[in-house]
Amino acid sequence: MTVILLSLVAAIGLYVLYFAARVARLGTRPAAFLDAGYALPSWSIMFLTPALAIAALGMQRHLFFVSHYGLQAVHLGVGLVLVSAAILLVWNRLWFATRVAGFSTPGEGLGRYYDSIALRVVVMMLTFVFVVPYAADMLSSTAILIERATEGFIPRASGVWMLAIMLAVPAIIGGWLSIVISLAMIGVLTVYLLPTSIIVAEILLPGQGFPQDAIGVIDGVLWDRLPGVIQYSAGIGKEIPAPGIFTTVAISSTSLALIGIVYSPVTLYLGQTVRAGGAFGITSVWLTGGLAAGLLVLGMPYLAARLGDGPLGFASSLFEFEPLLGAGFLLLLVASGILAVSFFVTGGTIIFIREMVLRYLLPELSPQGQRLSARIGLGFSFFIVALAASFAPTISAIVGSIALPMAVQLLPAILGLTFFAWISRGAILAGLTIGALIVLFTEPLGLVVFEALFVELPWGRWPLTIHSAAWGLVFNVLIVLLSSAATLKSPERLERDRFHRAMAMSMPAQGNWGRSVFWSVMLLWGFLAYGPGAILGNTFFSQPIFTDLEATLGIPSIWVWQILFWLIGVMIIWWLAYKVGLGRTTETLIKPIEMGSPDERRIPDWLSSGLTRVTKKSA
Amino acid sequence: MDESEAAERLARHGLVMAIWIPSVFVSTALSHMGIIGGGAWWVAAGFAAIIIAFIAHIILNAVTGTSFTAGETALGGAVFVAAVICYFGALLIGDEGVRTAVLMPVGIGLALLICAVIVYLVIAYGPRKAFEKFDVIRDNNLRAASRLPHRGGRR
Repeated sequence: MTVILLSLVAAIGLYVLYFAARVARLGTRPAAFLDAGYALPSWSIMFLTPALAIAALGMQRHLFFVSHYGLQAVHLGVGLVLVSAAILLVWNRLWFATRVAGFSTPGEGLGRYYDSIALRVVVMMLTFVFVVPYAADMLSSTAILIERATEGFIPRASGVWMLAIMLAVPAIIGGWLSIVISLAMIGVLTVYLLPTSIIVAEILLPGQGFPQDAIGVIDGVLWDRLPGVIQYSAGIGKEIPAPGIFTTVAISSTSLALIGIVYSPVTLYLGQTVRAGGAFGITSVWLTGGLAAGLLVLGMPYLAARLGDGPLGFASSLFEFEPLLGAGFLLLLVASGILAVSFFVTGGTIIFIREMVLRYLLPELSPQGQRLSARIGLGFSFFIVALAASFAPTISAIVGSIALPMAVQLLPAILGLTFFAWISRGAILAGLTIGALIVLFTEPLGLVVFEALFVELPWGRWPLTIHSAAWGLVFNVLIVLLSSAATLKSPERLERDRFHRAMAMSMPAQGNWGRSVFWSVMLLWGFLAYGPGAILGNTFFSQPIFTDLEATLGIPSIWVWQILFWLIGVMIIWWLAYKVGLGRTTETLIKPIEMGSPDERRIPDWLSSGLTRVTKKSA
Repeated sequence: MDESEAAERLARHGLVMAIWIPSVFVSTALSHMGIIGGGAWWVAAGFAAIIIAFIAHIILNAVTGTSFTAGETALGGAVFVAAVICYFGALLIGDEGVRTAVLMPVGIGLALLICAVIVYLVIAYGPRKAFEKFDVIRDNNLRAASRLPHRGGRR
């Protein structure tokens, strides 16, 4: 297993390096190193997005959940439909906003639209969380997997540095375009290997498997049903509800957290830099909501029923029949980690360089200098990530856990930029502050620090089985609505209105798409698919409510419910993409405008005086 | 070739690789499993993975308005010839078990690949033009007069 797995990982490394070299030899203008000329191939984003959505769930973590909590955890797969909706709603408008107002990064977009430096700083901090602790946690867990798979031949620390170097060199050589193109292939590989492993295992491995065999969950956990609408538990770390943690509110709030991957600055940047076309529609409807969600909903129960010995045991069983497939299953897990690390570190560093170095520190840098600074930044970032993954894996895991829920707190700000001109700067900042604090105190980072410094808190992680993302967002939105109501007639509103008018004129006219019917169907679907209504699925198809008869399906009722609402969800997303028209972008109607105050590229006084002092001393 | 054209070619190359690499990996694994004792159906599944990738490549060509490049055709031909040589090599020098496992499923699979290419050429170019692509004798006449239309020249 060791030789084959390492050979496959090396082959991926060589592939990424090959594309980096090819892109570097194109001889494109130096600025394209950072933004791919705002013309990323449509297919790359199509294949990369579903793999990113799966990475948001965390492949290893999701396998752990489904093998310990059964079909209640499988329900999270339906959450990818919500991710698809988020992609369409936000990426499409942000893409137009980028072309209309010339925003180079999500931070610049939000900062200039709301005329707020603070918001730019917030986005930079969020980017940092994704680049360092979140990526370091992914890197560390991938290296742990390699260590176990190779029976200690590649220790965790060595694995971390090996992977970091393998990903850093291509990023430094090829930049944003090469990384996105090569990660798209890894995305296809991931989506290819998952069903292959499941089908082959079902045919070859002994035992009947799902649904004849129950999923071997923890004692007391209800493997074939949701454990209620809500559980009155203090939260993970204090107590865990015996029948399972995935209540309907846990599923809906965790699905909400998943869309944090769409609102992370790096993923928004991916959406900004793609070329015009139908990429958003295809990736959201068919590949993310359709294929990826379908694989998780349909395939995971089969996999979970055979994961009694964990992923390594499963891979070993496959290895006995076919070495390449056994190693291929592990490669699927490794590739998922590699993809997330490479994507977030490369994209995040580029955003950092553009926002920080090119705007404030060295605003007069030539295009060649900009590329060089990005290359230095990438090398530095991968080094820091590897350092954090090697020597501070626990801290990285704790801090990284806030990345997705914190990204979700950007939702009101992004909706303001893309849809609602009445959302004001003050409202956004107040909402963000409250939302971030609540996320902090419902995740390990805040809990551990506060309890170590002060007193024991009565709640743990995700109290009442509600994910921190939802806790934060509820209060965030509440504050935003109240504050915006008080600032409806503020003078800045004129500028925001002007921007929204320009954006509306740049987009193709929408026909009659049945707005009220659509939102009614969407709400009803949400209520039944994720909301309290999902509890009906526990017995809806096995013990129908209008008769005393019991149906013998041969499969659990909740699984049928999940499949049904996944399919309905795909149809709703299709409506959003093709009837509403959010699945396509075009440059034909775009008329650029000057947005906000002129982009002053000057060094702040405190920094300038500091630099002068240093340079004078050295002189 | 200008910068954007080169970038387009590279993007297409990336897509072709993204289609073929996972397919070839899965195909190799399934075929290997079939040959070492899994049975003919696994070999068939391996060839199915190749044919799926081939169809995906054709769809790609149709969407992007391109055709198979010279490099792709050469690589495909070389790999196919290598596979045929390995096939006959296995039949000639392999032991009885390998011969039994390889003879029918791999032979039919290779034949199916040829059929798939022929079907593609006929659908894409029509029977006459598909034949003309292999009509080297017709192109082999170096005299200038052979280029005249009434002499059948088409260069």
